[in-house]
Amino acid sequence: MSGGFLVVRRGGATWAVAHQEVRGLARRGAGVEVTVAAGALAADEVLGVIGNLRLHPAGGVLRRFWPEAARGLAVHGTLPLVLIDGLAPPRSLLAGPAPAAGPPIPEEGGS
Amino acid sequence: MAPAPEVPFAPAPAATAGPQGRMEATHLLVRAGEYVCALPLGAVRQVLRSLPLHPLPGSAPELKGLAEFAGDPLPVLDLARLARAPQGANPVFPVTVVAWAGPPESRELVGLAADAALDVAALPAAAVVPAAPGSGGAGGLVAGEAIVAGQVVRVINLQALGQAS
Repeated sequence: MSGGFLVVRRGGATWAVAHQEVRGLARRGAGVEVTVAAGALAADEVLGVIGNLRLHPAGGVLRRFWPEAARGLAVHGTLPLVLIDGLAPPRSLLAGPAPAAGPPIPEEGGS
Repeated sequence: MAPAPEVPFAPAPAATAGPQGRMEATHLLVRAGEYVCALPLGAVRQVLRSLPLHPLPGSAPELKGLAEFAGDPLPVLDLARLARAPQGANPVFPVTVVAWAGPPESRELVGLAADAALDVAALPAAAVVPAAPGSGGAGGLVAGEAIVAGQVVRVINLQALGQAS
């Protein structure tokens, strides 16, 4: 799957959001807030932006023990990651009440 | 990335294949907490030293996290929890067994974190006492019990893993 992905870290796990699903990106305290259709997601840090992901479906075993929606799984370098569904992100990523907002982070490539 | 090192385990002589009718090994024996579990050899793809794990927030305790295996993402499960085994004295999960799980039409690779790969054994179906209803671990994962070298072994049904409990 191509088109560009924002890769972030949160809670010890690595997550990706398709570029077209990112509506905003801003610093929030020591972390980062990524806005998607479902709302604001909290991330500890942005790991980068990548062009392509070789996606694998989230299989029955994962869905049985991790009851969240996901567009799929992939590996970035040696880091396994979950591709988030911007309409139904994992609850653990949803940002709580935000501290004072920092300056917006310019998107790469000026897009 | 260099492939993760495999963990050697020596097959028991009595369980190796032989042309004179000796029984072929059918299961890999692994220690999971205080249980010895038998995994069907046909489903086992590789035994590795434990893989670096990335926990998924909000997951059930049976899911230890995601790992990278051969360039692909791999869900890794705690075999002792799946089998409802009491945790051992020092559960550090030094071994990950990569195995096929789920029903044949939708099987998938999973990692099973365990304490040790012990041996292989021949466990014909007749030697397995089926688990009592409701005692089969997570979703009927423990198909039954058998005695191997005087020790109770829990026989694991990996096909049950992909099914809702």
